[in-house]
Amino acid sequence: MKTSINLRFLLALAAALAAGYALYASWHWPFRTALFPRVIGVPLLGLALFEMALSAFSSEKKPEGHAVDFALTTEVDPTLAHRRTLAIFTWTLGFLVLILLTGFPLAVPLFVFLYLKVVGREGWGLTLLLTAISWLFMEGLFNRLLHLPFPQGWLFSLFGY
Amino acid sequence: MFDAFIQGLLIIFEWQTFLVMLLGIFLGFWVGLLPGLGGSTTLALMLPFIYKMTPVEAFAFLLGMHSVVATTGDITSVLFGVPGEGTTAATILDGHAMAKKGSAGRALGAALMSSLVGALIGALALALSIPVVRPLVLTFGSPELFMLAIVGIAFISSLSGQGGRALLRGFLAGLLGILFAMVGEDPQAGIQRFTFGQLYLWGGLDLVPVLVGLFAIPEIVDLAVRGTSIAGELPEGKLGKGVWEGVKDTFRHFWLTVRCSLIGTFIGIIPGLGGGVAQWISYGHAVQSARSAEERSGFGKGDVRGVLGPGAANNSKEGGALIPTIAFGVPGSSAMAILLGAFFLQGIMPGPDMLDKYLILTFSMVWTLVVANIITVAASLLFLNQLAKLTLIRGSILIPFILFLAFIGSYTSNNHLGDLIVFLFFGLLGYLMVRCHWPRAPLVLGFVLGKIAENNFYISTIRYGTSWLRRPVVLILMILTLVVIGYPFIRSRKRAVAAGAVT
Repeated sequence: MKTSINLRFLLALAAALAAGYALYASWHWPFRTALFPRVIGVPLLGLALFEMALSAFSSEKKPEGHAVDFALTTEVDPTLAHRRTLAIFTWTLGFLVLILLTGFPLAVPLFVFLYLKVVGREGWGLTLLLTAISWLFMEGLFNRLLHLPFPQGWLFSLFGY
Repeated sequence: MFDAFIQGLLIIFEWQTFLVMLLGIFLGFWVGLLPGLGGSTTLALMLPFIYKMTPVEAFAFLLGMHSVVATTGDITSVLFGVPGEGTTAATILDGHAMAKKGSAGRALGAALMSSLVGALIGALALALSIPVVRPLVLTFGSPELFMLAIVGIAFISSLSGQGGRALLRGFLAGLLGILFAMVGEDPQAGIQRFTFGQLYLWGGLDLVPVLVGLFAIPEIVDLAVRGTSIAGELPEGKLGKGVWEGVKDTFRHFWLTVRCSLIGTFIGIIPGLGGGVAQWISYGHAVQSARSAEERSGFGKGDVRGVLGPGAANNSKEGGALIPTIAFGVPGSSAMAILLGAFFLQGIMPGPDMLDKYLILTFSMVWTLVVANIITVAASLLFLNQLAKLTLIRGSILIPFILFLAFIGSYTSNNHLGDLIVFLFFGLLGYLMVRCHWPRAPLVLGFVLGKIAENNFYISTIRYGTSWLRRPVVLILMILTLVVIGYPFIRSRKRAVAAGAVT
């Protein structure tokens, strides 16, 4: 029998690990605290192991049954799709790093500018206009009007601003 | 009574009252559109402004604002796949799928018109039920709330999709959702569960970053991968024509809209279930209303009924939630708790006086719900075609703004950087789930209802031992749970038998 380790197998494995950890952690808790995690953890572990086995031992070229959810596009070449997926996740993570380093008020216009220029390859006029709009929105609405408590970026804290 | 009903209408059209209501509607419109601003937060921010208002003006202002938030929250959900409000996430599943097919106008028309129908039914329920609601609310103790949560969780079977493998993945997602709901302090003994020593996790996972991550990130990834606009490469002319089609859809599926409105109203009346529950149970009910397997497989991929159900429920619940707030001073949601504060600021004690001394004020609230929603929907319909054109903007221009809204929307739920980590974690999980054909709706249902189920289970056993299992409403809800779980199986079996008989 041919087995394969694919993304479905790994997702089911993650669910099984989460259930296993829940059961392990509940071992040290009083009965009432542990009851629900155990009641949920046991079937979750069982079903996740079953899904793992199905994913490993049977190839599912077409999804069996219809999930009540949208499906990712299949019209783009898989290699290109893979590259674009990695790119957008990197940009998203990069946005988080920018927020941590420079704080929200600066990170937002900086991210908008970089994305429009590097990925969108937009002209300078549109890029600067949209960057200014994002800055106005961020600074005017969230910072000045609503006074949301945005933490200072690590870079500014480091240099004592 | 009838005189008070009419006076309640006339009083909100006095120029000062009408003006502050319009101001409230304007604020609520933008609060709903922006994922970063929650309806409850804005209600709290606006409380200081009502000191100098009369009670009628104050509630016209606050309710005018609050009642339209869910209506315009649907617009963001449909257009960008980012929930405008935590209570409008279910609209994304089919609403945004329609937008991607070039039917944003139709989805928006359906969302707005069903919202209006829902708001009207919620307001009607409020007007009719105040004198008779007392026994209903008192019937629902913790055992009934526990069973109601179980009925909701049972909808996982409907939201999982067709086929054994889909059902398996649906239950996996639902159980994972319940497990995530257990993060934080155990409500019984105060013991930390799955907090990994992080103070941020003591209070549990917040619904907003979970929902925004789960729904926005997969849509953003898909948009980036396609490299087109949200609506793809469709001709521009195709977009604008659907608004009235969406309005007509509401009346084509009128009884579904009414049923989902009633579900929303009922969930609103019962304190402790919250707005997040109504939309998902209504969505589950809309999926169940599909007559064939083919019809059902269209849900999540752009079936207008998936927009109508949650659209109606998330507005009708406001009228429902006002009922216990006004009648007993028991708030049905966090927004209603803030509104209760407004009552006290105005020197009004909710309770029997609202049916006697302040009857005109009570009816003015009913009319505010009606008028505010009519104004919002009418105003929105005027420029929906223009809004729908946003789906034709290149993805590379939209993506940084959608990411900005998603990040800021997640952050503002607790004003903590931990919200951003939760947002990204659930974003990755949401992407993997979509990629591996695990449905996301059961996870949200489990997450929303898990804590409610656990809390009420313990209160029931401590208070009643095992005798709560014999309470009449509990027994009825147990039967309802079995019906909800068994209905899809019974119907597919019936169909198989019927198909066998034909061939």
